Amino acid sequence: MTETPSVLNDHDFMKALLNLVIPPSESGELPGAGALDLEASVAAGLQADPLLGPMVEAGALAVREAALSQDPDGLPAMAPQDGTTVLEAQVASHPFLIMGLLRYLYPAYYQQPQVLEGIGEPPRPPFPEGFEVEPTDPKLLEILQARRKA
Amino acid sequence: MPNEPVGVLVIGAGASGAAFAWSIADTGMSVLCLDQGPWMKQQDYPSNGLDWEERGIGEFSTSPNVRGLPADYPVNEQQSEISPLMFNAVGGSTILWAAHFPRLTPRDFRTKSDDGVGEDWPIDYETLEPFFAINDRIMGVSGLAGDPAYPYHEPTLPPLPLGKTGNALASGFEKLGWHWWPSDSAILSQEYEGREACINLGPCLTGCAQGAKASTDITYWPAAQRKGVEMRTGCRVREITVDAGGMADGVLYYDPDGQLQEQKAEIVVLACNGIGTPRLLLNSKSSQHPNGLANSSGLVGKNLMFHPYAVITGIFDETLHGRRGPVGCSLWSHEFYRTDRSRGFVRGYSFEAVRSLGPAMTALSGMVQGMVPWGKDHHQAFARLYNHSASMTAITEDLADESNTVTLDPELTDSHGIPAPKVTYHLSDNSRKMLAHAVERGKEALTAAGAVETFAQPLLREAGWHLLGTARMGRDPSTSVVNERGQAHDVKNLFIVDGSVFVTAGGVNPTSTIQAIALYVADNIKKNIETLFDPA
Repeated sequence: MTETPSVLNDHDFMKALLNLVIPPSESGELPGAGALDLEASVAAGLQADPLLGPMVEAGALAVREAALSQDPDGLPAMAPQDGTTVLEAQVASHPFLIMGLLRYLYPAYYQQPQVLEGIGEPPRPPFPEGFEVEPTDPKLLEILQARRKA
Repeated sequence: MPNEPVGVLVIGAGASGAAFAWSIADTGMSVLCLDQGPWMKQQDYPSNGLDWEERGIGEFSTSPNVRGLPADYPVNEQQSEISPLMFNAVGGSTILWAAHFPRLTPRDFRTKSDDGVGEDWPIDYETLEPFFAINDRIMGVSGLAGDPAYPYHEPTLPPLPLGKTGNALASGFEKLGWHWWPSDSAILSQEYEGREACINLGPCLTGCAQGAKASTDITYWPAAQRKGVEMRTGCRVREITVDAGGMADGVLYYDPDGQLQEQKAEIVVLACNGIGTPRLLLNSKSSQHPNGLANSSGLVGKNLMFHPYAVITGIFDETLHGRRGPVGCSLWSHEFYRTDRSRGFVRGYSFEAVRSLGPAMTALSGMVQGMVPWGKDHHQAFARLYNHSASMTAITEDLADESNTVTLDPELTDSHGIPAPKVTYHLSDNSRKMLAHAVERGKEALTAAGAVETFAQPLLREAGWHLLGTARMGRDPSTSVVNERGQAHDVKNLFIVDGSVFVTAGGVNPTSTIQAIALYVADNIKKNIETLFDPA
């Protein structure tokens, strides 16, 4: 007997799902999550998570089936508004779908260089360059100097 | 081949074990430390990579139950309103701490005399003062001398910069006329003893890749090893063994290959934190100590104290760049630290300004609080929070309660089959009132600082950093586990130097005081070595 592949490994479907959860920004500066090839890492995280993984998988399966009932090509072929309607309808009966998905999607999305640049951050790790921090306001220090306990 | 007996065996290489081992090595006795974790490498810390936030909530999570690394043991926390947090490695929880470094205040040692609650400690601030000073020097502490909330002391280095967030919050406290002061921080504002100054990486809670944050693997341990202290890593102690007279004579531990080893010692020192220490004592039953070692009082594992935390956040129109800089080290306030019964509770709390979260954690925490939706409105809601928020934590004083306990779980075990600790903890009515008060005052401070909107988490569950009180110190063997020198009443060659010995918790981070106590206990052993085991 062959095992049925997990919906989390259905890359076209997952790309479409991720793009509904984090769509491109209106200005176009920030890409949608479906455009960043994150589906494999998100799926890997979920499949290693014994608590959230099964709940997200069940919810995603329900979304895929609901989409297929409306469009023979499923979620990837649907307009964003229509896909969102399908997703919203399933979230009610699968309350951990979005939360579980985002637990892995946000960390994956917000480490992408394009995304970091889009939110005004340099596209690099904190170390080794670090960051500049504004010094303490000298007026505040003057106040403290006057208040110091000898 | 059997292990050679040692003079002093220290169990645990974290904040207190490191300080103790460094000091006791002056005796010339052979000193061995066993730790269940490994040595950490700065190049492996998350801030070296773009995935620093992802790793920070996974393998570098502050919760051992989330990490589940080989060095970790599980903690049953189902009956606890606060999740215990810790790290198991050389350096212990100082690897993942924020390095906020306040001391307990003098009044924290006499709550019964002052306020009629808790118990007075058998030692006071003045007794510990010289050891606070030594500890500051070894750890490297930045701060500003002269805080009116404390007896005068001089931090080793100038204070860390407040940054835009700290400046904004300080101005709020000024407007209200409330006490505030730059934090004492175990983070270097300047190069110090071969360690580089802080370069504001941000994610202190996942290990400092720069080495500017003091963790004992890079402060005490190199110095202790130069004095001859031996470290064995990957070694998990199962139980403390006793001789025919009921004195501790060593331990049984699992080596890195999983083989059970015996190690004999003349003095055994526990430095395993407020959960690990009672766990080990309770697992060390013998015919002489049928209820666990050093437990004739029945108080081992009882009186567990955390610091219940509230987090209050403000959203600002201006950009604050809040994630840059040491996350937990900016300023503190003792405005509501002392008892004022008109507030409806006894004792008090401190505020600490904290810097903001990285982008992924901003989005995740925004999701949890219903402020950052998924879908088309995500980016706009995210932008309103990211780099535009500042937070304060309220650290409230927990009062000891015998029903808050660490016991041995009857079923759950670690990877070696040793019973896991089970934590039972309920928040007191006094703490709830204190947290509610802190939320309102915190919102007031943030609004005064310019926040256009405020919100709060009135009790942070993932906040059990401070594990205190489970083997308390006292002069009376019927109401305490160790005496005023950290020596077990029941077992004269057994000492406890971690947060377990705390009698009261204060309303500040405890590590500075834990380490001062460890140095004080070591100093007493050094001074009284000839009469150490004489009857009281």
